[in-house]
Order: sequence, then C-alpha cells, then structure tokens
Amino acid sequence: MDAIIEVNQLHKQYKKRRSKEYVKAVQDVSFKVNRGEILGLLGPNGAGKTTTIKMICGLLVPDSGTIRINDIDNQKHRLNALRQISAVLEGNRNLYWRLTVRENLDYFAGNRGFSRREVHARVEELLGQFNLKEKENELVNRLSRGMQQKLAIAVAMLADSEVILLDEPTLGLDVETGYEVRELLRDIVANHNRTIIISTHDMAVVQDLCERTVIINNGQIVTDDRVENLLKLFAARSYTITINGQLTDQQRKLLQDVFPDSTYQPETIQSTIQVDFSNGAKMYDLFDILKLNEAQIEGIDRETVDFEQIFMKIVKGESAHATA
Amino acid sequence: MQLLNLLRANTRKEYLELKRYLPNTLAMMFTFYILFVGMFMGIQFIGDPSAQDVNTQFVIVNYIFWFLAMMVVNDIGFVVMNEAMRGTLEQLCMSPMGLWRIMVSRLLATTTLNFFIIIVLLYLSMLTADQWLNVDLVAIMPILILTLISMFGLGFMVAGISIIVKQIQAFLQILQFILAGLTFVPLSVAPALAYFPFVKGVDLIRDVMINGTTLSQIGWGDFGILAVNAVVYFTLGLAFFLYCERIAMKKGLLSHY
Repeated sequence: MDAIIEVNQLHKQYKKRRSKEYVKAVQDVSFKVNRGEILGLLGPNGAGKTTTIKMICGLLVPDSGTIRINDIDNQKHRLNALRQISAVLEGNRNLYWRLTVRENLDYFAGNRGFSRREVHARVEELLGQFNLKEKENELVNRLSRGMQQKLAIAVAMLADSEVILLDEPTLGLDVETGYEVRELLRDIVANHNRTIIISTHDMAVVQDLCERTVIINNGQIVTDDRVENLLKLFAARSYTITINGQLTDQQRKLLQDVFPDSTYQPETIQSTIQVDFSNGAKMYDLFDILKLNEAQIEGIDRETVDFEQIFMKIVKGESAHATA
Repeated sequence: MQLLNLLRANTRKEYLELKRYLPNTLAMMFTFYILFVGMFMGIQFIGDPSAQDVNTQFVIVNYIFWFLAMMVVNDIGFVVMNEAMRGTLEQLCMSPMGLWRIMVSRLLATTTLNFFIIIVLLYLSMLTADQWLNVDLVAIMPILILTLISMFGLGFMVAGISIIVKQIQAFLQILQFILAGLTFVPLSVAPALAYFPFVKGVDLIRDVMINGTTLSQIGWGDFGILAVNAVVYFTLGLAFFLYCERIAMKKGLLSHY
C-alpha cells in the first residue's frame, strides 16, 4: 500500500513558562499512514498526540524531522501541503456560532478560494450527506453538541482533501451521538475515499473504526500495529483454565513459582486459574503442573480483552509489545 | 480568481456578523456621534469665536479619520484575538490561501463596510454642526486609497502582535489614543509626522475638505510621500505579520488564549 502521510523522526520541545527548562513533547516520532486507512492516534493526556496532529496540519513547526503529505513536504511547501488535508481540531469551537449552518459552510468553502458555483454544489452535497438540510438556516449556537460536531466534520469535508485529521471527534458527546459520528466517519472512509487520522481517548472509537493504531506515551511511539493484531495478541496471551476440584499444595506452590502473575480461585466443585503467557511462559508448563494430580481440565477459555485494557497495559509498560 | 472568491466570502461574513451584532454596531455609532457632539459643544462654548467654523470643520475631518484609523488598525487586532478565543484561528491558518491573504480580505471587507458607517457619521456631524465640507471625491479617493494602504500595514503589525500576545486589550486601548494623536495633530505643527503611516494623507484630505484644494493643486511630492509611505508600511507590516505567524507556529501559540 502506498503511504499518503510520512512522518519522519519528529522532535518538538516547548519552553516551560517562567523557566529555562524545556518539555519534550514529541521525541523521534515516525510513522506512515496508508491511503484510505483510518489510523487511531492514542495516548494519555500530554502524551504528544495533539502536538503531532498540529505538526501534520502545519500549525506547529517541528524542531527537527519531516512530514510529507502526498509527497509534499509540509514545511517547505506549507500551503500546497494544506490543500491535501483538512482537520477538526477543537470540535464545535472550530465554527462561527453566530452564523447559520449554511453560512458556516459557505464561509469556509470561500476561504479555500472556491467559486460561488463550487461552493453551492459542495454545500448542497454536504448538507444532504450529513442530514443537516433541515437545520441549514439555524444558528450554530442553537444546535445540539452532536449537530455542531457533525457540522465541524462537514466543514472539514468541504476541502475535498484526501486526508482528514480529527482531534477528539467524540469528546463530550452522548452515547447515541457518538455512535452517529462513528457511523458518519465509517461512511466517509468507505464511500468517499478518504484517509482519516483520529486522535482520541475513546477506545470504542478505536476498536470500532480504526484499522491501525499508533500509541504515544511521553512523546514517544510505544506501539504501532493493526488493531486486530493487538486484540489477537493480547487475547491469545491470557487464558482462564477451569478444573474439577482443587489444586494440591504442591501444585499451588509450583503455579506460583512458574506463573507468579497467575490467579487461582479455589472452589469446592470447580476451580479456575487465570494465567498470562505474555512473559514467555508456556502452556505445557501449566499442563505439567496440572498433570501432577491428574486434575481434570473442564475448559480452557481465552480471555476476552477490550482495547481499553490493551491500551492501559501498553501505556503502563506492562506489555513487552514493541513497535511493529 | 481565488482571491476574489476569498474576498467575497470574507465580505459576506463580515456583513452577516455586522448584521447579527446590530445593537453593538448601532451603539458604537451612537458613542462616536456623542463624542463628536461633545467636541462640537466644546468649540461652541469655550473655543475662539472667530475660528469657530474652521475649528468645527477641522474636528469633523479629524474625528472621521480617527474612526477610520481605529476600524482599520485596531479592529484587526480584535479580529485575531476573537478568532483565537473562539477557536477558529487555527482553521483560518489551515486555509491553503494563507492567513495573510485572509486578513487582507478581512481588512478590505471591514473597511468597505465601515465606509458606509463613516459616510453616515460624516453627514450626521456636518448636519449637526451645520458646517458643509468639500467632498471632492476625485481629489479625496487617490489620497484615501494610498493612506488606507499604509493603515493596512499598521493593522498587520497590530495583528502580528495579537497572534503572539493575544491578551492585548490594554495595548489596543492605548493605541486608540495614539491614533487620535496622529489624526488630530496638523503637519504644520509637526512636519516630521509626514513619514508616519497615515498623517500625511489625513493632512491632505483636510486641505481638500476644508480649504477646497483640488487634485491638480496637490504636488507630486506629496503624492510621492503618500506612495512611499503606503509601500513601506504595507511591506513592513506584512513582513512583521508573517514573522509573528512563524514565531507563533514555532511556539505553538496559534490556539492559545
């Protein structure tokens, strides 16, 4: 697949206020985004996600490193690179609240130099696509938060650019509107041939929408992999084994020695053992322990993990999973 | 063509906002009118009776140009501040047209729209004072255009500072008085001010409107100074604005308020 965005060895540091110290916001960040892909940029607060997004948008100058969008260097040819991207950076704050829905769309289209005819065609199309036709003459400050968010995304779509960057697109939305926005984004990628980078805290968005995720912590990339790979990888490492009866004292001791992170829950009829095989431990070793009193295995279940758990493990450094 | 589309979009937006904030616009006009009435009364009651007419005419022209200077120079600073506060400044910066072109179109749009307000204020003040000035458009327009270009340059400098500092309300308020000083002081008192952004232009227009000077009576030297001022201040202003924009992008100040 060909990369539409190439981020190469980005570094950015900020000077602390009233101090001579510097904070390293982004350190040696490199990744590529393929055409038509939805990439999730994840990380805790202050990890460097927004700084990275803003450098891609050309709103922040990196201290070093390069960003190429559609093979255009966004530092050397900033305005040309800006034709390739659009962004929703502050959600509904990106709009003029005292203008109507249509007036906002008209203004932002005109601001990109589109002719009256082009503006009219684009605005009509987007009003229909985003179900905003009924609200076209409503002032933005009278719209619901969800509607405002949809309008902000519609404004980003005006540009007809191949890449759309969204910073926290579902922040502050209720469950229903969040779902609606996710459906909208899915439709944009499927039917409008766009590449999307989403910076978010919302793991449901990542699990539901993103094909790949880049996790940033303390300004550095800690993981860059496909979401399904991460889900498989983490799911494959944790198992719950159900046995008839209980383990002997000797077995319990061995279990603790070989699998120190395991959890054993003894019950009169059936007991369970939860084991994580991520640290190189083998299932055979567990079977050897169980074989000692010929404990009858009733079931082996792979533990289901959601993306939030994976994210927490990676960010807290509990996982050895490195950049793919 | 793209620049014309940009200008059209910004003119429409400025017009819509002026309409939406109509009470604010009317209050601003009313305040300015009251200020003029105050100055006019001052001349009537404590001024020299023999120079009353000339003084009144002088005040009308000066205060109209003070209003214009504030609209052009100060307003752009408030525009940047408001856009940053609203969260729309970054969206403007992401336009492939470039922020400076958007700001030029905003300046042109607000100047054109405010021109109508200025004409209303001018005729209202002439009516109030019963002093009718010589509105010779042939002589006024070339001077005004060149003067406005240098004002735009100064406006860009203010906009550049606003991008970096943002909370500059206090500075903008002080600037109002500096602008008043520059429009009210005649060049005969301080000839060196001719090389300041718009003082020469205001002085020439005063000559046209009060003394009835025609275009042919204005020397090439005067136009030369106006033209040099226009080019120098606009270039300096734009360069300073682009420099400030770059600084803001290095320090990550575009979204901070």
